[in-house]
Amino acid sequence: MASSKESVIICRCREVTEQEVLDAIEDGATTITGVKRRTHAGMGLCQGKGCSRLVARLISQKTGKPLKDVLPATVRPPVRPVKLSALAEGDD
Amino acid sequence: MSFKESVDIAVIGAGPAGLAAAIEAAKAKARVVVFDENLSPGGQLFKQIHKFFGSREHLAGTRGYRIGEMLLKEASEAGVEIRLGTVVYGVFEPLTLGLVNGDKSWACSARAIVVATGAMENTMAFPGWTLPGVMGAGAAQTMVNIHRVLPGRKVLMVGSGNVGLIVTYQLLQAGAEVAAIVEAADKIGGYGVHASKVRRAGVPILLSHTVKEAYGNGQVEGATVVKLDRQWHPIPGTERSFDVDTICVAVGLSPLAELLWMMGVEFTWDGRLGGHVPLHDEDMRTTMEGVYVAGDVTGIEEASSAMEEGRLAGIAAAEHLGYLDPAEALRRKEAVRARLDALRSGPFGQARKEAKLRLVEEFRRKYAGAGEKATVSAAGGAGGATGAAPEASNAAPASKVASPQEPEARGVARTGYPSPEELSASPGVPSMERLKKGKVAVIECVQEIPCNPCEEACPHGAIKVGTPITNLPALDAEKCVGCGLCIPKCPGLAIFTVDLSLPGEEALVELPWEYLPLPEKGQLVQVLNREGIPVGRGRVTAVRKSPKFDKTVVLQVRVPKELAMEVRAISRDGQRPS
Repeated sequence: MASSKESVIICRCREVTEQEVLDAIEDGATTITGVKRRTHAGMGLCQGKGCSRLVARLISQKTGKPLKDVLPATVRPPVRPVKLSALAEGDD
Repeated sequence: MSFKESVDIAVIGAGPAGLAAAIEAAKAKARVVVFDENLSPGGQLFKQIHKFFGSREHLAGTRGYRIGEMLLKEASEAGVEIRLGTVVYGVFEPLTLGLVNGDKSWACSARAIVVATGAMENTMAFPGWTLPGVMGAGAAQTMVNIHRVLPGRKVLMVGSGNVGLIVTYQLLQAGAEVAAIVEAADKIGGYGVHASKVRRAGVPILLSHTVKEAYGNGQVEGATVVKLDRQWHPIPGTERSFDVDTICVAVGLSPLAELLWMMGVEFTWDGRLGGHVPLHDEDMRTTMEGVYVAGDVTGIEEASSAMEEGRLAGIAAAEHLGYLDPAEALRRKEAVRARLDALRSGPFGQARKEAKLRLVEEFRRKYAGAGEKATVSAAGGAGGATGAAPEASNAAPASKVASPQEPEARGVARTGYPSPEELSASPGVPSMERLKKGKVAVIECVQEIPCNPCEEACPHGAIKVGTPITNLPALDAEKCVGCGLCIPKCPGLAIFTVDLSLPGEEALVELPWEYLPLPEKGQLVQVLNREGIPVGRGRVTAVRKSPKFDKTVVLQVRVPKELAMEVRAISRDGQRPS
């Protein structure tokens, strides 16, 4: 099996490969949010728990940016999946 | 949200940090509610089936799940309400929690909150890592210890920190085989005593190795590992394959700090603590008024320090709301800080102690004199960070006999078991002269870790640790009668007795044993050395059990005299030698 960047998945939830992340960085992404916007990595069910550190390391390796300067992506509520029926009131 | 409740202090997370915080705040008469998204409380405690380290005040020698039970009882007695299956999906101004439980949602307005949301396992991407059978070591631990399900039959463990070592041991206890532990660094990351347990069970630890790929048809059927050079690059041609169906990844944890990030609390970065962590002062107060943090969310440590940080946060939050006067609060906080300091002592704790000191100092530098009205900074980490530890391992300090950064080539930090030099330098190992006189304890503890249950275990006062509790235990060979009561008390399972005074060619060795099925008295067994290599045959002459031993059994084995200082285990598979 070829251990190429095309086959190694970085974001399991959205099936984003290492090559796609590297392409996003090549395209100008220098933040986790930047990679997320181009590839959807971090937008799946786990909301980046599986891939954020991996993406951060790739950004750091490719751009030379120290890890401490690769900040977490913006977080907005809800931080866990929540059913709309739980939030809605009445019958709507 | 049509319903809103009000509390004094809302604690997010019912793990050791959250429960400890809630207990302290409730003891001060604050109205405390703890929310946890899980259906059971206790966080990681209930899957920690091994005995904890530390000293009596840290509940050393107690198994993790029992500490969890104790905390729940204390919480209940203090009047803490715990709401399980409840997700805090957001925290809104001015300290209002958005809550969901199934189909119900509501808000909780608090005057102070303690965020104790813990940490998650790190992932490691390699070809084949998405095949079924690759999982976090913590996930495997949950499956085995909570759900009593084996994740697989033959495991490769990636990472030799305490999680990797402990989960390996627990997988063995559950009946799985562990083909090897691979560690990218050139030394073992976790405690020598944890490594020794798995080494004498025959599990190899391959240093400077990492997993190259997992392969299989729809699931893990094997894994290839490869050796790394000093620049962490794989060396072509050094690949080795293992026939495994499970790969456990134990490459560190990261704080689950998304609620704090969302709230705009200021963060800093420290590789030693797991990356981006919330800035806090010595009262566990963040840069946002009324918001406290405790436990792994503030930096990866362990359950014992999580509990102490939780207590600090609970006391501080209660004080903030006026439930404790400053003098009383300070008295309680100082007691906690002393215990916390003891846990962070020794070579293993040093990095964490320094990281926490630096963090608190950064807070002080930026906000000293700001008092209660600390400025809320824009979300974003700043501050000096030290270098990141490589992802695949935790840096390991050396054992006492070696210099701080370079462990001995033959020492426990390299091989996973104490070297002859480390043993003879240890004050817990008696002289050959004393060994020949009769049954005596042999304490194979060669690294400075904060731990002293052996001291209290000895009814004859023959074991001394003293202070600091990182001192190696010293055996007074004259006082020691070899009763072996210390054997089951050592959380590291590092104590044995040896009796070289028998007539004839045989000796008796007593060793701690935590595997089932137990051998029977009179049974012939294969006896193993510290590397798990069979060195001969022995006969089990006693199987000592007692409720006081808390499930650690003491086996007495008769072995050839020349093997008495070699035999430290028997073979686990129950096979009788031919």
